[in-house]
Amino acid sequence: MDVLKQLIGRLHPLIVHLPIGFIILGLLLQWYDRKRLEYQKAIPLIYLWGGVSATFACITGYLQYLGEGYAFDSVKWHLWSGIATALFSFLMYAKLKEIKAVDFLSKVPILGLSILFFILISFTGHQGGNITHGEEYLVEPLPNSVKSALGFETFEEKEIVLSEETWEEALIYEDVIKPILNNKCVSCHNPKKTKGALLLHNEEGILEGGENGEVILANYTKQSEIYKRMTLPIDDDDHMPPEGKTQPSKEEIKLIAAWIDAGHPFKSTIKDAGLDKKLFASLFPKKHDYDYPDKKIAAASQDSIASIEKTGVYVNLISKSSNFLSASCINKPAFTDADFETLLPIKTQIARLDLGGTKVTDSIFKKLIMLPNLTVLKLDNTAVTGEQIETLSFLDHLKSVNLTGSNFEEQHLTAFSKFKALEKIHLYKTKIKKKGVQSFNEGQITIDYGNYELPPIASDSIVY
Amino acid sequence: MKDIVEKLIQEKLAREVQAKTRRHFIKSCAQGMGGLALSSIFMGCDPLNTPPKKTAMAFSERDLNPLATLAPPLAPKVKSVIYLHMAGAPSQLEMFDYKPELHKYDGQDCPQSLLEGKKFAFIKGTPKLMGPQADFKQEGESGNWVSNFMPHFKNVVDDVAFLKAVHTDQFNHGPAQLFMHTGSARLGRPSIGAWATYGLGSENQNLPGFVVLTSGGNTPDAGKSVWGSGFLPSVYQGVQCRSKGDPVLYIEDPDGITRDLKKSTIDAINKINKEEYAKYADPEILARINQYEMAYRMQIAVPEVMNINSEPKYIQQMYGVEPGKESFANNCLLARKLVEDGVRFVQLFDWGWDTHGNIREGSIDMGLRNKCREIDRPITALIMDLKQRGLLDDTLIVWGGEFGRTPMQENRGNTKMAYKGRDHHGDAFTMWMAGGGIKKGASHGKTDDIGFSGIEGQVSVHDVHATILHLLGFNHEEFTHEFQGRNFRLTDVEGDIIKEILA
Repeated sequence: MDVLKQLIGRLHPLIVHLPIGFIILGLLLQWYDRKRLEYQKAIPLIYLWGGVSATFACITGYLQYLGEGYAFDSVKWHLWSGIATALFSFLMYAKLKEIKAVDFLSKVPILGLSILFFILISFTGHQGGNITHGEEYLVEPLPNSVKSALGFETFEEKEIVLSEETWEEALIYEDVIKPILNNKCVSCHNPKKTKGALLLHNEEGILEGGENGEVILANYTKQSEIYKRMTLPIDDDDHMPPEGKTQPSKEEIKLIAAWIDAGHPFKSTIKDAGLDKKLFASLFPKKHDYDYPDKKIAAASQDSIASIEKTGVYVNLISKSSNFLSASCINKPAFTDADFETLLPIKTQIARLDLGGTKVTDSIFKKLIMLPNLTVLKLDNTAVTGEQIETLSFLDHLKSVNLTGSNFEEQHLTAFSKFKALEKIHLYKTKIKKKGVQSFNEGQITIDYGNYELPPIASDSIVY
Repeated sequence: MKDIVEKLIQEKLAREVQAKTRRHFIKSCAQGMGGLALSSIFMGCDPLNTPPKKTAMAFSERDLNPLATLAPPLAPKVKSVIYLHMAGAPSQLEMFDYKPELHKYDGQDCPQSLLEGKKFAFIKGTPKLMGPQADFKQEGESGNWVSNFMPHFKNVVDDVAFLKAVHTDQFNHGPAQLFMHTGSARLGRPSIGAWATYGLGSENQNLPGFVVLTSGGNTPDAGKSVWGSGFLPSVYQGVQCRSKGDPVLYIEDPDGITRDLKKSTIDAINKINKEEYAKYADPEILARINQYEMAYRMQIAVPEVMNINSEPKYIQQMYGVEPGKESFANNCLLARKLVEDGVRFVQLFDWGWDTHGNIREGSIDMGLRNKCREIDRPITALIMDLKQRGLLDDTLIVWGGEFGRTPMQENRGNTKMAYKGRDHHGDAFTMWMAGGGIKKGASHGKTDDIGFSGIEGQVSVHDVHATILHLLGFNHEEFTHEFQGRNFRLTDVEGDIIKEILA
């Protein structure tokens, strides 16, 4: 008998959809028929069926509650609202059929009742869904900002950073392993939501293990469940974190492996655990050293890029990870100062500009200051002399200027002392006849005059 | 005349029959049947009784311009790569990996423990160890070791980062070269340059994105597959240019054909090819269309960029070029010119590094020394020249062979050889990289006292590939191409970025 009870109980998730269908159909028909009055006879019948099927749903639901061992607290809202829905459906039937027993409702407008009914069935359905899928089922895919605005607890990924000077003093669990687990595992393995009866938010939980037993075997990484699961193929059902969730990086998995191999110490420092610096390389702060400023900007419009490319200037994203652009005249040697206007629609996005080998002159400098994020500028093999190059000192991000093969004159060198971010200037084959590398502006700027030589030596001509 | 026309018609018919595959046949049958059925249904509806229209394949932007530049997924450190490959495998023990201890064991039998389970190409029985045949010195601020076989190299030693313990799993030239350039010892995979141009395109629309230069002599044992495109569209394969004679074969105007006539010929051919593509949707047809157009543009651009005579005398002397000949020095200068003009990937192959000791040219103390002299000045000049033009920051230079050489003297067939030589050895050898994003003066990895195995910082060929792709702005694990039902990567299922040599 118990088997039957449980079996019928398990039909509940199926049967509930019957009353939902009937009731929604009834409500829709009521709205559709509000003026035509063609289906008036059908509507009460639908609600009657709704009520009957809702009763069945209530019975199976109750059996499921008994059979599956839910706590009453967790199902009570769904249970009571389910019963209320069944009763309400009969009530709607009675009201539409104008049965005497419900005369007390004759003053209440039918529209009000319908709206109330709609809210009731939605609420009941939602409560049921929460029981099957968990309370955060619908919220989970939302971005963290929306989640916290809705009042849900969020598990935000926190960046893990170790300093390259003091990394050995950092605590291996507290500063490295725990943050990794917090970022990648704890959103499902915490005291509120404990998938697989496994807690990964603290030492006790990790040592305790989950419903399948221990997750860590000291010094045996490859046998440790936590490691095994992370290294299974992503489409394996047992892979953790599940497909679709943020995956730990290769470096993070290696760190966890190294920690288990070292006997998973919870209190010791990295030094005491005897771990190699190489393992932590990905956690040291990264210096931004690319050809564009370290900030976020809006993307340039595709139309403006396309229209600039039509003129023969190449425009490309420097990388898909930022909106900064690189513009190059490699296929347009005829580019002149006047053509600069065509670049203005993307002036904020240009970080790399290659005007090498073009017809630009010194008047380009005044125009270039319209590119606030210009980082790398190539003016090699042009006729510029450096007159008015000091205007470029307004550019906050300009890091490197290539003037190789231009007519740059020595008298304009001093202009560079005002530049804020400049690191490198190339002045090979200019009017300045110097050789090698010179440090400028207290070592901030390196000037490369080139003219390197490789004098002949005796062995050049010895053939063995 | 009539004969010729008839022949052409015959040829056309024959080609058409060849081009039709079983699939086309079945497809046409199905369409024919469909057409029949349709026309019977609509009989009378359509006075002209037009046959049902076939849907033509649409061209994507990338199909029409496969070398158009694409942004890399991650911030790149370099835009171009110059890969210098010493085919035949240079001896690390006479160039960069200094093993003073090996002197002590010179002439002694190699310990059996080292030989157990190892396969060598030629060594049989118990070979004798052979001490370094070069003198070493620590050079530059980095204090990295360079031998007297490479006397100029000290000038740039602080610009490069050494990998002292690279290993490969191949010990014969062909497979090892394939592995080094395609990530697989078997044929069929795209080379690094093909991957790079496939993923990034190339900036200069008048030049190929991937240029290959060989120093004359033998071509690499693995053949042209080392710069092939594998399963990628063939437009991404390396274009071999020559430093002697016509830079690219068959792109000059034939006698009596003007440039204009050639242009209209190419336009007409391409028009037909486009119609063919609409019919068969074979991407190889697109590759052909592009090759024609590229070849036409190259006619003007290539002779210019490939002309080393236009370079000033002092630059020519710096590289040690020999105009009119095929040489590694010429190719180094060309490599700079190509990179300066926006070519994405330049692959240089030098030959004659297989120093077994069987002949004078293939000896460690003489042949190798000559080879080193031939590359020492050009490579040093290349790095200096790129540096002074501000190009080194945007370029990655990779140097290496397909494997290294044994600390033992080769004893081919268990005999004493005529000259001093070393056998193939893949367990530990030296490579270096220089340029954008590379830690200047670094040295990563260590070999044991005799240079037989890596004992620290061992890196695989896949790791080298992962690092090259990383510098170009790719995550090597996500840069894939689907072929025969699965995604392929240059690094297969391996590869770690060698962070130790990154700035």
